[in-house]
Amino acid sequence: MLEGIIKSYLIDRAGVDPAKFDRPDLHVSDLELDSLGLIEMLFEVEDQFGFQIPEPMRFLTMGFAEMVAAIEATVRDHHDGQLPAINATRASD
Amino acid sequence: MNRVLITGLGMICPLGTDKNSSFASALEARSAIRPAPADIATRLPNVLVAPVAIDPESVLDKKYSGLDRATQFALVAAHEAMTDARITTPPRDATRFGVFVGIGFGGAQTVDGLYSRFFKMLHDPTQAHKNPTVMHPLSVPRMMANAAAATVSMRYGLRGQSSTYSVACASSAVAIGDAFRAIRHGYLDAAVVIGTEAMLTPGSLMAWNALRVMAKPDPTDPAQSCRPFAHDRSGFVLGEGAAALVMESQARATSRGPTVFAEMGGYGCSSDAEHLTAPSVDGQVAAMRQALYEANLAPEQVQYLNAHGTATDAGDVTETQSIRTVFGRSADKLAVSSTKAIHGHLIGAGGALEFALSIMAMNSGSLPPTAHLQKADPRCDLDFVPLHARHGCSIEAVMSNSFAFGGSNASLLARRYTP
Repeated sequence: MLEGIIKSYLIDRAGVDPAKFDRPDLHVSDLELDSLGLIEMLFEVEDQFGFQIPEPMRFLTMGFAEMVAAIEATVRDHHDGQLPAINATRASD
Repeated sequence: MNRVLITGLGMICPLGTDKNSSFASALEARSAIRPAPADIATRLPNVLVAPVAIDPESVLDKKYSGLDRATQFALVAAHEAMTDARITTPPRDATRFGVFVGIGFGGAQTVDGLYSRFFKMLHDPTQAHKNPTVMHPLSVPRMMANAAAATVSMRYGLRGQSSTYSVACASSAVAIGDAFRAIRHGYLDAAVVIGTEAMLTPGSLMAWNALRVMAKPDPTDPAQSCRPFAHDRSGFVLGEGAAALVMESQARATSRGPTVFAEMGGYGCSSDAEHLTAPSVDGQVAAMRQALYEANLAPEQVQYLNAHGTATDAGDVTETQSIRTVFGRSADKLAVSSTKAIHGHLIGAGGALEFALSIMAMNSGSLPPTAHLQKADPRCDLDFVPLHARHGCSIEAVMSNSFAFGGSNASLLARRYTP
């Protein structure tokens, strides 16, 4: 679920080549995001779950799968270990 | 000093999605003024607006989605002007090519959206688990007043001066004037100048409504509610959009051979130093006289003037007196019109839009009328080209006035180009 949100932002908005996601060893640095692109990507998750993800720059040195897992862990930390269902009604873009 | 030529024009405004459709609507006096949409009309039923007919995102690359609406308008208008002038991206002389933007209330749509999001989330029980302060991380670079200048500079690789002017209703007139000076005096060889504004938002319309300067809706036809110089005028209508001009030195233009729309003649600017909102004859006269002096033109050598003409009681009377003072005996031979009757008041974009329309009037010999002017206020006694366009005119020079809240006045003068 989280991976879907992140991937759709990266492909549809940031222009990342979808073929890159076929690579199991995909690294965050391979996405060629600058610091603004990275926090814009995180906002897609923040907007869904309603809190600001701390220390965004730590993700830049991770593998893609590792980053998704770390973001999920952060979301669970914020929701008593749960991963809440995504609310269909988002506040805005 | 360099002669400065205008080699590109672009528009996205309530009258049309490009310069030709906009100018055609101006000649036909086709009004874009209408009641505000439901989210505003619910609480402000008398507020009118002049919106741009298309969503700018629909004509822009997806990477520009989410930018402030004023930046999007600027990109659309700049594209038309840069294409017109056949500017390559990046230009070979990129460090000598500047960007000048005029905007009255930069970031208005983004700021309004931020508060709407906050309060909507705060009061929505289904969103109670969310922190309402979580905002889009690019909110700041989207709302900053120089967002449009930055985006246009990046899009075209323009590395010269990029400056943003916020001078209320005179913003883009001052931007054009200062770009003219920069090229005239050799600081730059070319510039794209843009006036843009997008604040038809609930927050800003509440503020404008409170100022008591907005036109009352015409009971039979809301489109005719803004009537500059008319005896029954009641104020202006807020519009939105952008206009852009490419300006370059004669030497640069001559080496490439683009179409030349006009030569910049002169620019005048002054401050009233009197009142926050009330206009002053002395300040307006000073601006117009400076423009004529710089262009080395006598008043009788100007045939058309696009008035600031906001349709407020004081504004139209003061401007009439100012024009009479500057033009003297030739005032009765001068054609004056206010196109705000149909495109509304574009605030920061108004100067660029109206100057560009004036240049198109000069080149076509067709003068846009002052729409809805059935009966003039006796204190406004100039030739306002009432109701219908005037065709077949021989125009050698045109002036455009922009007089701002805060007492800032700007007058621009363009003339037919003869090498």
